[in-house]
Amino acid sequence: MINNRKPLLEVKDLKTYFFTEDGVVKAVDGVDFEVYQGETLGIVGESACGKSVTAFSIMKLLDYPGKTVGGEVIFKGENLLEKTEDEMRRIRGKEIAMIFQEPMTALNPVLTVGFQISEALMIHFKISKEEAMKKSVELLKKVGIPIPEQRVNEYPHQLSGGMRQRAMIAMAMSCDPSLLIADEPTTALDVTIQAQILDLMRSLLKDFNGSLIMITHDLGVIAEIADRIAVMYAGKVVEHADKKTIFHNPLHPYTFGLLTSIPRLDLELKRLDTIPGIVPDPLHFPVGCKFNPRCRFATDRCKEEEPCLVKVEEGHLVRCWNIESVIKEVKKGLLVGV
Amino acid sequence: MLSYIIRRLLLLPVILFGVTFLIFCVFSLLSPMERLATYVHDPATLKNPQSVERLINKYHLDDPFPLGYINWLKRIVRLDLGWSQTANQPVWDAICQRFPATLELVLYSIVPVVLVGIWLGIISAVHHNDMLDQTIRVTAIVGWSLPTFIFGLLVLFIFYGILGWLPPGRLSSWAQDIVYTGNNFHNYTRLITLDALLNGNIPIFLDALRHLIAPIITLSYISWAFLLRITRSSMLDTLRKDYVKTARSKGVDEHTVIHLHAKRNAMIPVMTVAGMMIIGMLGGVMITETVFTYPGLGFWAATAAQQLDYGSVISFALLFATIMVVGNLVVDISYALIDPRVRLE
Amino acid sequence: MNRTLKKLFSNAASLTGIILLVFFIIIAIFAPVIAPPFSDDPYQIPRMSWDVHPQPPGFPMSDNIREIYDYMGTEIKYDKAICGTAEGGYDIFYGLIWGTRTAFKIGIITVSLSMLIGILIGSISAYFGKWVDEILMRLTDIFLSFPFLVAAMVLTTVLGRGLDKVMIALIVFGWMGYARVIRGSILSAKEETYVMAAKALGVKDAKIIWKHLLPNTIFPVLIQGSMNIGSMVITAAALSFLGVGAPVGYADWGQMVSFARNWIIGAPGNAGQYWYTVFYPGIFIVLFVLAWNLIGDTLRDILDPRLRGEL
Repeated sequence: MINNRKPLLEVKDLKTYFFTEDGVVKAVDGVDFEVYQGETLGIVGESACGKSVTAFSIMKLLDYPGKTVGGEVIFKGENLLEKTEDEMRRIRGKEIAMIFQEPMTALNPVLTVGFQISEALMIHFKISKEEAMKKSVELLKKVGIPIPEQRVNEYPHQLSGGMRQRAMIAMAMSCDPSLLIADEPTTALDVTIQAQILDLMRSLLKDFNGSLIMITHDLGVIAEIADRIAVMYAGKVVEHADKKTIFHNPLHPYTFGLLTSIPRLDLELKRLDTIPGIVPDPLHFPVGCKFNPRCRFATDRCKEEEPCLVKVEEGHLVRCWNIESVIKEVKKGLLVGV
Repeated sequence: MLSYIIRRLLLLPVILFGVTFLIFCVFSLLSPMERLATYVHDPATLKNPQSVERLINKYHLDDPFPLGYINWLKRIVRLDLGWSQTANQPVWDAICQRFPATLELVLYSIVPVVLVGIWLGIISAVHHNDMLDQTIRVTAIVGWSLPTFIFGLLVLFIFYGILGWLPPGRLSSWAQDIVYTGNNFHNYTRLITLDALLNGNIPIFLDALRHLIAPIITLSYISWAFLLRITRSSMLDTLRKDYVKTARSKGVDEHTVIHLHAKRNAMIPVMTVAGMMIIGMLGGVMITETVFTYPGLGFWAATAAQQLDYGSVISFALLFATIMVVGNLVVDISYALIDPRVRLE
Repeated sequence: MNRTLKKLFSNAASLTGIILLVFFIIIAIFAPVIAPPFSDDPYQIPRMSWDVHPQPPGFPMSDNIREIYDYMGTEIKYDKAICGTAEGGYDIFYGLIWGTRTAFKIGIITVSLSMLIGILIGSISAYFGKWVDEILMRLTDIFLSFPFLVAAMVLTTVLGRGLDKVMIALIVFGWMGYARVIRGSILSAKEETYVMAAKALGVKDAKIIWKHLLPNTIFPVLIQGSMNIGSMVITAAALSFLGVGAPVGYADWGQMVSFARNWIIGAPGNAGQYWYTVFYPGIFIVLFVLAWNLIGDTLRDILDPRLRGEL
């Protein structure tokens, strides 16, 4: 809670495990964050850190053999994890909607674009097909697709990549959801299209004061669009704060590492700082803090004990034993102008 | 899509040529005397060296290969397929006479194969890995392992040998008297069940149906086991696709997700296989008709093979190959119509 | 590989299949011991009687046959038909035992040879592409235009009776499936960078196919092959059932069932009198094919990554 505002979505210690034949994969093992009305939360982290699984856990759309085994997902005051499938169906598409990474596979190839956009409208508002189609045309126009009357009867493969993503956005926004979850929406697109899509999303959200969870591994996108940021590593949130704090005063070594590894045009750097090592195998996580093998500030304690998420100040959570070391580094001025 | 259809149509004569050529090659494995025997009624003619020589010339049996092929092909196109020893009539007549029986059998068999196979395949996939799925799968595997002739014999044994409910053949003798002599009975289509209904003759309708049940079960069993496995696999594949997740994320109910979003996509590959399979059922006809002494094309072909009636066997192969080629074309074109990605190219 | 083996043994269905298969392998290996042949040709089933009617299980050798064997100097290795006799007095038990060898012969030989042909045609077609591909694929289409059983039947009719003719027929019309599968795999693998790298290094085409493409694409074909062993045996049995396969008296399960059609209904008032003529060879056929299918079906499930519950 910040400034006594209640968050729209509050995720507390979420745990989702995959019970595979090779062992239990703890894809999400302690994720905490808050999303406020009208704000954008950026969830950032490397591949396979559990970002997408978090999103699916919130929507309760996990595939076998995944199961959410702990935590709470409080949306508008109610815990979604306790809701029945019927109740979730009424929420999905209407209150919370989702956009996927690859629009070609996320859209059904044998159904028209118009139908796919109308579907949520017909289900949640019980309007007729004709009315829904009319609304779809409007939505297509709103997301910037030219000749929407024609496009509405076309199939996904007849649209270009960028247009498909816009159509997906139209589909997701059709019922004016309070929360939109976007899972790497721009990763599969060209950089120029990326910028357009981000602009589109920003303006649509501003229109009706909706909230967005933007999941990505791209810090540039986060910097553009996020208000608050949650940094994930190996299934856990390791730092959670507003954008300014994350970029100027990060406290977690991983966040610090991410920021210093961005190439810079304005500084003369001889080498790019990298984070040594690779992301750990989810079946064989290291003991203690999951980041310790790659952490330059790691101490003995880190190798034995897993740190918990601690509130360092209002609206700033960190999961680390050695924040002071990071503060020292930051003071050295390496994060100038980020 | 138009270019695709045109291309397929243009390939048709090429394939038909290839098919006839292949059959001719097999036919040529026989000696000239054996080939001659397929054209003559009376075996006595073959003993007379002069008539033999005359006939060899007439049928171009001594000609070099390409010429022989062309002449043979000319005859085929004129429907001069030789003489059937086993049927004691010209081959083409034998085919025409027996075709309706087989057609009736196959048409009825399509229904259980397609409906039950696909329906169970979808259920199996949706209930992936639980008891229902396992049961269905095991039944399918066993069905897949039971050769048609063993299954047929089993059915014959139980339902005729022991219970006496489903006799072999096509009609009981009293019904045969009426249908085959046309006594108060018009043979409109030569499909007996249909004709019986058109004649308003219910007892004959029921009799024909009774004789059809066992062959239908036998003919369709293996096919539906196969179709079930394909449907299940395709459906499992589809249910894992992203667009299914998208549908669920919109709040679509599970029934619609399965039957509108997933099924349509899953059925595309299944339809092509199903089409192929139905045509392939024609092959199984030989065994089924033999087991139940059902007087169709298959029984005739099997008898002919046993008695080395080469003319009939070769013509039978020619007929079925042609049906398959045309059938394939139809299936391919309908595939193009179903899948919008192909249709709108 | 070990993982696959482990899974095969832990799944109830495939385990059953493996046990059945081992059972058949043992029978095939020890055939000469279990059912000693009476003559030089072990596949010739000895007769226990001259009677056209099948005799029930436990039937002892009839005297006139015994006299004939003695007269011909044939050693009578055993003289009871444990499982009864088929039409014409052929000992069913003997047929079952040696028929196992026949089944393995048919299955393995036809599948290996047709797979070889299929791989050859399919890989050449896919690798060289363009008109080579077009011609070879049309050829495949032509062969595929015949329902398998019909084609095999025509060929065996023309070639004559005999197990070798049956196998030829099965091979000639059995290669197309493998050709298509390997063609599909190679078409996609062909575009992979490692192939382009090899080409850029100047490696010869044949070597590329043999060393690079085939090892990566051959596995599904092998799986398909092992699953086809069962269906090859069924088709051979069907041909024998129709009377165009193995000659009368040959140790082949299908051949033994072929006469059974006439006897299945039994004497009037005694249905099922001759049940053993169909039951014994029938159950052997079914179990043999079931064994291969159970293993093959599980194998397919194992190798399908989607069904492994992966993330």
